[in-house]
Amino acid sequence: MHTGIHGEILKIEHLSFAYEKEEPVLSDINLMAHDGESIGIIGANGIGKSTLMKLLVGLYLDYEGVLEIAGHPVDKKNLNHVREHIGYVFQDSDSQLFLSTVEDDVAFGPQNYGLSDDEVEKRVVDALEKVHITDLSKKHTYKLSGGEKKLASIATILAMNPDIIIMDEPEAALDPRNRKNLIRIINEINSLKLITSHDLDFIMDTCERTILLDEGRIIADGRSTEILQNESLLTEHGLELPLRLQK
Amino acid sequence: MNSIEKNLRELNKLQNLQQRSHWMNSLHPWGKLLLSVLYIFTVVSFDKYALAPLIVMSVYPIFSFIVGELSFKEGIYRMRLILPLVLFVGVFNPFLDRQIVGYIGELAVSGGVLSMITVMIKGFYSVLAVYILIATTSIDDICYALRVLHFPRIMVIVVMLIYRYFGVMAVEADRIMTAYKLRAPSQNGINYKAWGTLVGQWLLRSMDKAERVYESMLLRGFTGDFRIRKKKVRLSDIFYPVIWIVIFVVIRHSGIFGE
Repeated sequence: MHTGIHGEILKIEHLSFAYEKEEPVLSDINLMAHDGESIGIIGANGIGKSTLMKLLVGLYLDYEGVLEIAGHPVDKKNLNHVREHIGYVFQDSDSQLFLSTVEDDVAFGPQNYGLSDDEVEKRVVDALEKVHITDLSKKHTYKLSGGEKKLASIATILAMNPDIIIMDEPEAALDPRNRKNLIRIINEINSLKLITSHDLDFIMDTCERTILLDEGRIIADGRSTEILQNESLLTEHGLELPLRLQK
Repeated sequence: MNSIEKNLRELNKLQNLQQRSHWMNSLHPWGKLLLSVLYIFTVVSFDKYALAPLIVMSVYPIFSFIVGELSFKEGIYRMRLILPLVLFVGVFNPFLDRQIVGYIGELAVSGGVLSMITVMIKGFYSVLAVYILIATTSIDDICYALRVLHFPRIMVIVVMLIYRYFGVMAVEADRIMTAYKLRAPSQNGINYKAWGTLVGQWLLRSMDKAERVYESMLLRGFTGDFRIRKKKVRLSDIFYPVIWIVIFVVIRHSGIFGE
């Protein structure tokens, strides 16, 4: 649910997390993010990107440090509040879509938050319009193409009108046309967006700010144009320049 | 195409039927569920020798198949597992009830033969009625109707979740089977040595996938109950079942078609 807050929506201070008695996956993460920002989270495989995303939505609660969404600490007591403000678009759209038709799936979130039938209907129509798939509303989710599934997944989150939208490798397995379409749609969304991806060209196209993670720590946090052009920084942390910048 | 893929395709075909824009599909699920249940009760309630009215009761499945544009052949095919069981129920009746109850020309018909036929017809009609319901109503709508009829919430949720996770497990099983077969093209079936590993993989992957689905539900406010949007009741939603119920009552109680 969008709060209309125009300041700091996400606050992370000295965040550390380890799976049961294992080495910390994340150490001393500090991050502030504001309404309307679009932030790319990049890093090699297994450096804690997905863990950070799951911490934000409260799937793991035994962390150390401060983690606040729209002013609510992410803890057991506030879990419902937190989840009203944050939406998570899974990498695998099949995990996201579990009801029969697109409109039923998009309506699932707003219904669970107790909105009236009319309001749910409005949210569904708006969300489908935002991702330009109004014509698919009655279509069965298993019949959608990969690109359509991705857009339907985003619509399920937009219908909840969240302050923050997390997208886990949203461009994965999309063909060039669908990828281009997705970039356009992501850029039209006004909420705070956190996008994890290995496709640095995609991050360049969708995020004005980039955070580079390695070994559970934030290595760099700044403008995408600066970080994604820093070849030595990227190479040192297991990445490469975006394809369009490679010679 | 392996058997799992075939079954998945069949399930998809059934879901296609449920998603049609036919007027019978758009009827309120409550009415259709009630109608199916009442039809089965009515059919089952006939006397074991009441063949004539039972034959007349075929009007409902015949109407539904023709007007509902459902393929009878496909219906029988989809019910192929349950139909033999249903038809088998009365097979011993001719040995238990040898009393002659009538003649067809010179041929004496025993009560056992007659009751076997009626039991088979009852079973057959019941299966057809269930097929008509599931071919025109999605599982979500059937669960909605169950909730409207005040079925215990937990039972309805369990039905919905089993349906969801059944799909998840079937897809994973299909992927594993395909991956196996592509690397063992000359084998018929799966080598028994690989069964343990494959079943273990299947369960682990299904659990992972099911967990992601569940996480997705939790992140969209799921608290243990599916909240389904109320469906508006139109006049046709009332008239359709009422007309049929009147027809059932007439066939069952008027005596026009025999007792």
